[in-house]
Amino acid sequence: MEIAKVGLRSALEAREITRRQFIEFCSAMVATLALPSRYTTAVAEALEKTKRPVLVWLEFQDCAGNSESMLRSGDPPVGDFVLELFSWEYHELIMAGAGKKAEETLQRIVRDHKGEYIVVVEGAIPTADDGVYCTIGGRTALDIAREVCAHAAANIAIGACAWDGGVVSAGPNPTGAVGLQEAVPGIKVINLGGCPHNPANTAAVLVHYLTFNEMPELDQYNRPLFAYGNLIHDQCERRAHYDAGRFVEEWGDEAHRKGWCLYKVGCKGPEATYNCPTVRWNSGTSWPVKAGHGCIACASHRFWDTRSPFYDRLPSVPGFGVDVKAEEIGWIGTGVVAGAMVAQVAGNVVRDVLRARKDQDETDQTPDA
Amino acid sequence: MKKTKRETGAGHTWKQPEPGHVRLYVWEWPVRFSHWLLVFTIISLSITGYYMHAPYVVARGREAYVMGTMRFVHVVSGFVFFAALIIRGVWFFIGNRWSRWDQFVPTTKKRLEQLIAVGKYYGFMAWSPVRFIGHNPMAGAAYAVVYGMVFVEIVTGLVLFSETVHNSTLTFFVGWIPPLIDVQWLREIHFLFMFGFWMFFIHHIYTAILVSVEEQNGLMDSIFSGYKFIPEAELLEEAEASHDPELLPDSMVVDVMDEKGALR
Repeated sequence: MEIAKVGLRSALEAREITRRQFIEFCSAMVATLALPSRYTTAVAEALEKTKRPVLVWLEFQDCAGNSESMLRSGDPPVGDFVLELFSWEYHELIMAGAGKKAEETLQRIVRDHKGEYIVVVEGAIPTADDGVYCTIGGRTALDIAREVCAHAAANIAIGACAWDGGVVSAGPNPTGAVGLQEAVPGIKVINLGGCPHNPANTAAVLVHYLTFNEMPELDQYNRPLFAYGNLIHDQCERRAHYDAGRFVEEWGDEAHRKGWCLYKVGCKGPEATYNCPTVRWNSGTSWPVKAGHGCIACASHRFWDTRSPFYDRLPSVPGFGVDVKAEEIGWIGTGVVAGAMVAQVAGNVVRDVLRARKDQDETDQTPDA
Repeated sequence: MKKTKRETGAGHTWKQPEPGHVRLYVWEWPVRFSHWLLVFTIISLSITGYYMHAPYVVARGREAYVMGTMRFVHVVSGFVFFAALIIRGVWFFIGNRWSRWDQFVPTTKKRLEQLIAVGKYYGFMAWSPVRFIGHNPMAGAAYAVVYGMVFVEIVTGLVLFSETVHNSTLTFFVGWIPPLIDVQWLREIHFLFMFGFWMFFIHHIYTAILVSVEEQNGLMDSIFSGYKFIPEAELLEEAEASHDPELLPDSMVVDVMDEKGALR
């Protein structure tokens, strides 16, 4: 923790990050937060004065994908800045300490920095069978989360799993996995869904917190509106092809090579919100749709259950066996009704004939007066 | 109550009732107007909506705007569809006896029995159709289901529309739905119900032709003109059952009413 004493500028210099790169980072954060560019100075000043709050990164039922996304985010990585802006005391993936010593550090933070430290949670929390499906140092994830998150200044759930359980809680969810805010009700959580989270957004939220000492504006899922407020579809560079009616029919066809819209091969852009198309990945290089794959709505609520199948427009209809599409049921149903009507016509013709014969018989049997 | 007995004078351009029949104004203009709005919007919504699900037209040329046009027509038709339901919905309560809400839900034991009788006719268990001036109870019940489907289509459609326009007023009214039922399922319902309308469409045209032919009451014409041709006896029956002297054919008014206008 020596860096804490030398200040942010020298700490960044030790990582060979220049002042220019620092200002570039600040303006990128301001742009991500959709703030006017004049805020860049305010952000840079606030960050340089920061007292480097303690940050704890908890990993539960996860794949470490969000940590990887943070640490491999570009050149210089956004993670480098965040590592220097905070006193990063506990993070299983990257901390040097291990075992008992590491767990003692966590205990010390909760004890000594009560109400001051920031918690980043990655991964879902199992609740079935008293949470035995994820234990660290003999304690369940639920137990750790309850203690550590309850005493934090702010909790940030990053990635789909920490938000709503993600892939871990997708049906049939044998471990009873849930997201952080469901596992530990009553705490203040900011959710940064996405599989993985976009490090630019997470950094922007942290920068916002350090600059203004509060969290950005949130939506109904406690997600920051700057990142989750717009449809992917409305920001997509293939949108013009959608409006024109030019669609990829199958992977690798002529339309796919021309970069047409991926709507017909199941792109969920029209039903997903995220700033993926504008912030992009790997220093703003690309994002899934630009790379030629449809959006799977990884930042949508319970997207494994609600947005699959990823390569079809609509879910299969439940109760009709495997993979029965809505249009199949619709066309068959319409056909059955049409068939029933034809049968009715035939039946009515027969009835009319029989009725006429019956009436004739009755007339014949009537004795003449 | 507009009704016309057979008239022999010149200058009547409309079809004359048969002897012993009355030309009766059954479907008021809002009923017919909303009916035709629904017909045309269901057609345009189906054509454009199916395209929006699975684009079946290959766009050509640099100026192509196929999906954009389809979506525009769909949204406009959707709001006309909504308007049609509102017009008809109001008429459920202020319209004449044959357009009221109780024609669609069997509220009395008699209507329920009649519903079963109609079912028997369609199931080839009766020789002749049961005759009604307005909707038969089974048709009424079917239309109630259709109006329910219209309502579901409008609500799901508004949710899907609100997802694209981010209108705060619209979100205020329907924004609570997506957290309960995910938009993909709403989309699925919205799409599946379209086939419900197709099934109804086929069935509806078939029964309209069938009943027109069987009952010879001008049923098919009535959705254009509003008039049906009813035997006087049936009208009398309905008048007695409903205690409404207004319904009586003019020739019978004298016979069955006392001086105060009450039914005898």
